[in-house]
Amino acid sequence: MPRVVRKLRNWTARILDLPRDVVLDLPRVTMIGGLQLTVENHRGVLHFSPESLRLAMDKGEMEVTGHELVIRNIGAEEVLVEGRITGVQLKA
Amino acid sequence: MKGSWIHYIRGFVTVKLASGEADKFLAETISKVELWDISYGKDGKLRFRVSVPDFFRLRPIVRRAGGRTRILERHGIPFRMARLSRRKTFAAGMLGFVAALFALSTLIWDVQVEGNDRIASEQILQAARAEGVYPLQWSPRMKDTSELASRLALRIPGVSWVGVEKKGTKVQITVVEAAKPDDRKLESPKDIVAKTDAVVTRIVAENGRPKVQRNDRVRKGDVLISGIVGEGERTKAVVSKGEVRGLVWHEYKIASPLTVKSKGFTGASNERGYLVIGNRALQVSGYGQEPFERSEVLGEVKRLRLGKWTLPFGKMNEVEKEVSYAETKLTEEEAKRAGLEQARAELLAACGPGAVIKGEKLLHEHTENGKVMINVLFEVEQSIAMDRPIVQTSPDETDRTESGTEATNRD
Repeated sequence: MPRVVRKLRNWTARILDLPRDVVLDLPRVTMIGGLQLTVENHRGVLHFSPESLRLAMDKGEMEVTGHELVIRNIGAEEVLVEGRITGVQLKA
Repeated sequence: MKGSWIHYIRGFVTVKLASGEADKFLAETISKVELWDISYGKDGKLRFRVSVPDFFRLRPIVRRAGGRTRILERHGIPFRMARLSRRKTFAAGMLGFVAALFALSTLIWDVQVEGNDRIASEQILQAARAEGVYPLQWSPRMKDTSELASRLALRIPGVSWVGVEKKGTKVQITVVEAAKPDDRKLESPKDIVAKTDAVVTRIVAENGRPKVQRNDRVRKGDVLISGIVGEGERTKAVVSKGEVRGLVWHEYKIASPLTVKSKGFTGASNERGYLVIGNRALQVSGYGQEPFERSEVLGEVKRLRLGKWTLPFGKMNEVEKEVSYAETKLTEEEAKRAGLEQARAELLAACGPGAVIKGEKLLHEHTENGKVMINVLFEVEQSIAMDRPIVQTSPDETDRTESGTEATNRD
């Protein structure tokens, strides 16, 4: 995304009080305790093992760590992860 | 998971990636094929679920990535059907069961009759059978219920309405019986004669021939309305019917006391409670009460009941009420009036309904032994009709009696 466009969108979101994830295509993470985690706006699975799940983002990547992780459902935009989740980390 | 029943209908498999790199495989497939429940098994191999059509699209991708898959579990309707097609007898049995259930539910299994009192159920069921309503009848062969109802109403004598209702495999016939008037009692020919000596004040003959007129003096047993009608040879005996009223005299001797004793409750009472075991009672309450000089005791026993059995246990409430007797003195005039009043009431009760006292005459009156003795004559207008059967003895009249009885029957 060109710099000007991103600046404009950022400004619009601020002025119109819109949620940033809608306007800026940022990842949105919903977590229910340590049991369930939903990530929207991901860009694919980089690595998956029972202890960690690395997801590609628009900028950088995101790592979900835990035990016995299971991808319940995965679509082009959304991932639902279950298991004993111990950490979520964003890497720019 | 949402839409899991759609997966179930389409069929899905649990697949193990037997060899090949998991991360590479995931990156390749996730954008192209829908996978779910992705996890690692105990053997460290990736396993996931995928629908059957997607699984076939998946295989070339896996092969290109240099891996192999193995199917672990099969779920869903397509696999069920495949298994069923191998078990022919079972499938046939299942189909047969559905078919039998359907076939048997088209039969009539039960015919019930309701609302009949005089008419026998068998008679109604027989009529229904004749109209094609009977157990094990095939429902579609039965006529429409409203038509059946009207046909049954014609077939069963003595009904005013018939309803037929079909509830599944049950047919209910509801019957409303026609109300029949009570049969009139057969009566033999009779006269109406005088009950007592009287002067006739009114005579109305509904049936038969009146023999007396108004203001005639009649003696006890005189024929008032004759049951033999006709003249000369052409006579016949009928049941005479009618109203005859007359003036009758009744002489009454009344002894009316000058003192009247009356009993009354003073209002004071004692209550006692008892516990009853068998036929023994144990007093549990109401000790230390002053006994009354004169009293009446009213007792009420309540026994414990268990279902339909009465147990030999219970309680009894006893109320002792004080009684006082009062004596009032009457004057001669009052005593006379009370005596006459009572005599009138007795007379009207004795003379039957519709009796009216027309006049009264005091014949004699004197006082002795604390009583007023009165002799009074009442003139009462009352019904003096009394039935007396006609007894025919002469042999030539026998056939006449028969014809007479016949006429009565028809009446």
